[in-house]
Amino acid sequence: MTNEPLAQLKVEGLTVTPRLGENALRVTVIGAVEMRDPGEVLTPYWTGLDEEARRRGIRRIELDVKDLNYMNSSGILTLVRWITRAKAHQAADAYQLVVYYDGNVTWQRTSIPTLAKLAPGVVVPTEING
Amino acid sequence: MNRPPLSSDYVEMRFGPRWTYISSVRRFVASFFMIGLADKERAEQISMAASELLENAVKYASEEEGYLKISIAKAANEVDVCVKNEAEEHHINTLRREFALIHAGEPEQVYLKKMEAAAMTEGQSRLGLIRIIYEAGARLRLDINESEVSIHAIFPLEQS
Repeated sequence: MTNEPLAQLKVEGLTVTPRLGENALRVTVIGAVEMRDPGEVLTPYWTGLDEEARRRGIRRIELDVKDLNYMNSSGILTLVRWITRAKAHQAADAYQLVVYYDGNVTWQRTSIPTLAKLAPGVVVPTEING
Repeated sequence: MNRPPLSSDYVEMRFGPRWTYISSVRRFVASFFMIGLADKERAEQISMAASELLENAVKYASEEEGYLKISIAKAANEVDVCVKNEAEEHHINTLRREFALIHAGEPEQVYLKKMEAAAMTEGQSRLGLIRIIYEAGARLRLDINESEVSIHAIFPLEQS
């Protein structure tokens, strides 16, 4: 098993930085998702994180979107695909996806809890204001 | 010709269907209504709806050289966001079916079902319109005049 750092993604006003902690993979998302087809870059990127987390036996991914000021519905779909994939994992390589969001940002307060309803046992929406 | 007087809370923009303009319009609409309504949440909901409607219009506008128009009008008890563009007949038919689908159930259930269905298929998300209804709390109206399509997202305002 290699322990190489996970690659950062920088594309069209968006930066995604994964950082491996002791018991969790922390993924910070900054900027905005408003490109025409975010699935072209985000779906393979989320899939890569999913595969890496399972390969390393990580049981918790913390997705921090507090500084993501906007995400269009095509971007939302990339998260739906990730959640659908995570929900299908067997218990042996399942992980929890904890999503930190800012309750003062309207799209986050409405979209993140809705996404969590797709997989209540897998996605944990966690509101952090400010 | 006499035109009815415009309210001070009225914005109209007309531009070519270019994706790169959408984020500028979204930010402008949010700022404008933050001032006009003094309600950050409503302003962000209105700008999100404007952005989703413009994304649809750019994706489905019939001609690269055509124009789309966004107008936002605040009346006494509602804000009407309208995006207008020319579209091909097959896109208009798709839109009619989409409208029937998103109004066929309780918004949260429709939204979740559409998410699950979209995750299983390739291509466009088609989540934008139901997102406007469920997440932004607007009602949608579709007006079709031959090849001209207008979609209105109508936001009720609390009476002060």
